[in-house]
Amino acid sequence: MKGASSMKENEKKTPNKDWDPVIVAFLCTWCSYSGADLAGTSRLQYPPNIRIIRVPCSGRINPLYIIKALTEGADGVMVSGCHPGDCHYLAGNLFARRRFVVLKKLLETCGLNPDRVQFTWVSASEGGRFAEVIKEVTANVKKIGPNRIVPGFAEDCKEASAE
Amino acid sequence: MIYEEMTKQIREAAKRLLKEGAVDVILAYRGGGLNEMQVPFFVKKPEDAELIEWGDRCYQNLAPYVHGLNKKVGILAKPCDVRAIVQYITEFQIERDKVTIIGVDCIGMVDENGNARPGCSECRVHKPPVYDEYIRDERAANLPAIEPKAGETTLEENLERFQKEIDKCILCYSCRQACYGCYCKTCFIERDMPDWQPAEIDTGTKITFHMGRAMHLAGRCVDCGACEAACQSGVNVRYIIREVTKFIEDAYGYSAGMDAEEPPALLTNKFDDKEFGFLGGERHE
Ligand code: SF4
Ligand code: SF4
Ligand code: SF4
Repeated sequence: MKGASSMKENEKKTPNKDWDPVIVAFLCTWCSYSGADLAGTSRLQYPPNIRIIRVPCSGRINPLYIIKALTEGADGVMVSGCHPGDCHYLAGNLFARRRFVVLKKLLETCGLNPDRVQFTWVSASEGGRFAEVIKEVTANVKKIGPNRIVPGFAEDCKEASAE
Repeated sequence: MIYEEMTKQIREAAKRLLKEGAVDVILAYRGGGLNEMQVPFFVKKPEDAELIEWGDRCYQNLAPYVHGLNKKVGILAKPCDVRAIVQYITEFQIERDKVTIIGVDCIGMVDENGNARPGCSECRVHKPPVYDEYIRDERAANLPAIEPKAGETTLEENLERFQKEIDKCILCYSCRQACYGCYCKTCFIERDMPDWQPAEIDTGTKITFHMGRAMHLAGRCVDCGACEAACQSGVNVRYIIREVTKFIEDAYGYSAGMDAEEPPALLTNKFDDKEFGFLGGERHE
């Protein structure tokens, strides 16, 4: 929680041209984390905005982790697990999938931009795809702008709807 | 009067059930509450059944009393209460053969000024979906089901509404206490490992609590309106839960509390579920 609150400090500064998004990435250890590893060992380039948190399974990710990351000031959250059918625990990602779809709807209903939160599947052999996904997620979050959910709650989606 | 006729039928059914020994106790209502309100009443002896009263002020949801009660119970239940009981059954909180549901048609409850209670004004289910005994009310037959409107507002309007509601919130958690679905021994918001909530009333905590609770009630909310009625600050976050629940209904075909055999939408999965909003997935609408 310490690290999280310092993130909040950063985000209170007015956004300027140097603003670089902080994206929390929850990766399942069996597929996506290994995929990230492969991207690293293959020396693929991708934006340095993500902070990886390794979890046993995408089904282990409590939607509250994502809500908490956003209220603590993360600009975006990314979640990645094994492709459907490849889950190490057989169906963890299938349960997670329903939860994430619902969470996106919930964010939208509360007026928070659902594109701040991105879900995808990356397998252990998809180092290239991992780099692509990170590029896409970072570009998306940059488009939405800095997270002002808590201090300037109302301003949050101004940029999004201005597009 | 229709309510008197229904009261008579309920008393008869209650007496019969208690005499047969089908139930140990019946949860119902009796008169004599504040402002002529009907209050919860536990009937243990057949002769007490004469005190049962049914009317338009029976708005307290009796389902939470059934939760964790290790007895054969009969319960007088409005459609929303029936749905709550059915949810308890599908969530393995109570066993179907331990409860006898006396389902009652409902045309909506009113407060002391005759205004519709929260929830009742936008009710979708006027007839009990599951029951063992059934008490009819012809007036319920032609009532429209009022569906939540979805997808008609922009992100900005949604935000404004949500913010306006949670600004009033003082984090007293009465809404949680009132909800049938919030039966956790320790709510996430009161846990300190991990510490979801800083010990202060700030917007972040309010968002965490209300979104967290909405997530836990998604697809389980039975639209009883108890959370809104319990809030002394006039906060309505029920509309969020209602819209998400409606979304689950469209996406996964699961309606809370309508079928005791069907597992809740988020406790199950299908291999070919749609991936709305995933990177490279489909978009909703
Ligand atoms: S009952 Fe009202 S004030 Fe209390 S926590 Fe719920 S919404 Fe907030
Ligand atoms: S969230 Fe509110 S309306 Fe829904 S079941 Fe709980 S108390 Fe009833
Ligand atoms: S808000 Fe969630 S954790 Fe808290 S009591 Fe309700 S269901 Fe349980």
